Amino acid sequence: MSGTKSQVNIIAVVDVIGALSTKSLQDGNLCMMDDGSGNSSHQGTPNLVTVVRPGQTVSWTALAVDLQTPVEIKNISFVPANGQQGQRDQSGLQGQQQGQQGQPGAYGQPGQSGQTAYGQSTYAPGGATGHVASDRGSTAHDQEGGDPASAKLDLDVWTGVVPSWMARGVPYTYRLELQMYDGVDSIMHVDSPALMCQ
Amino acid sequence: MPQQLAIIVLVDVGNALTSNTLDGNTYLFDNMKLHGSENQGTDGLVTAIHGSYWRDGSQASEQVLNWLPYSLGSIPPTVPRGYEVERARQSDEQALAELQDLAAKSTVPSADAAAELNRIRKTVGTRVKTTRRTRGRMSGQKVVDITGQVVTEDATAAASYPAPVITDIYGEAVDAKIMYPAEYGSPDMVTDGWYWSASVDTSRPGTYSYTMRIQLHRLAQTNGELRWDPVNLTCSSALKITSEPRRNAFTKAGIGQLPIPTTPPAQRG
Repeated sequence: MSGTKSQVNIIAVVDVIGALSTKSLQDGNLCMMDDGSGNSSHQGTPNLVTVVRPGQTVSWTALAVDLQTPVEIKNISFVPANGQQGQRDQSGLQGQQQGQQGQPGAYGQPGQSGQTAYGQSTYAPGGATGHVASDRGSTAHDQEGGDPASAKLDLDVWTGVVPSWMARGVPYTYRLELQMYDGVDSIMHVDSPALMCQ
Repeated sequence: MPQQLAIIVLVDVGNALTSNTLDGNTYLFDNMKLHGSENQGTDGLVTAIHGSYWRDGSQASEQVLNWLPYSLGSIPPTVPRGYEVERARQSDEQALAELQDLAAKSTVPSADAAAELNRIRKTVGTRVKTTRRTRGRMSGQKVVDITGQVVTEDATAAASYPAPVITDIYGEAVDAKIMYPAEYGSPDMVTDGWYWSASVDTSRPGTYSYTMRIQLHRLAQTNGELRWDPVNLTCSSALKITSEPRRNAFTKAGIGQLPIPTTPPAQRG
């Protein structure tokens, strides 16, 4: 298709005070939009389905409606192939993403274990790269001297390339986790947005 | 973080005027505790600022600081701006009504009438004298206490102080071109239409001090006239700047393919 952009930007606009007050990203507290050239649907809602093409770069950014409130993307993870929360895909995923320590999309692990899985075991193609990346991640955290990892979320750039293996016309839903300041109730997520290849 | 950050400058105006110093009478705090700001709520605040840079070394995030001066012992800044004027007008109307009443009651001057007049005079309150130097928001207005009652010259201790005004931000952080402060006009009434703001260069990590010149106002009485005399004091704070490289959140290194499962997910119902 001519005129396809090389990059699609997805912006999550968060009413942080609204979200923290109702402990929910629903009811208008989260609006997602993209600037893709495809026929994305549900713009302005947490159900955004962004139409992408293989090789395109997708970039996620979080913005606060009220400028002096903090919000950062804590994690973005895609639903495992079996689509069930609380279960890790033991069949296809692990075999094909070699050498990975823990899968992204290890859904439904609340609390500390979930956080560790999301925060530190992110996908990288190839075992060696994954290993190095993991080391680098923990080094960065060690240098913190006990600072919460949330204080460093502003360094994260949520950008990646659409792989060639995506099935066309199928929405790949993902979990978008947002962190608003710090503390036990500061992290919220939605499982509704998706990427879809046309 | 790319958001704007706030530094509150809360001044105990009465005590600062009495001791003629802001030391120990200023309470600074910001919304950067998460980033490691120190000494919140004291006059020794160190504001933490996290910068970031791209792999080529260029600055990756902007930081904007806003200073908001508040006063202890004043009418809250959230009260509408016309409040003092409105209270003054009400006291005028009340005094006029009482004067009419008095005029109707007595046609002959008497001690009672004099006492009554004196009482009405207290109801009227006192307007602040306007001089060329004090012309502005506070001039020509009546002095009110923090409950909005007008104050007469023999009861000025209860007067509500005008909010502190930042008149300059200078010092090491400015000299070293770490931040570029300026005063901006604003439709925000809380800060009386003006506020100090700065953008920060996060490319040179370190701790940099800065000083704020703050103007308070002392109610002075000369020959039965009241006026607000400006008193200029200073207080210091510091910025602690750190900067780290941006990283790809998916790979913790360079850009790669998205972590999308190789098997398509079940279709949404």
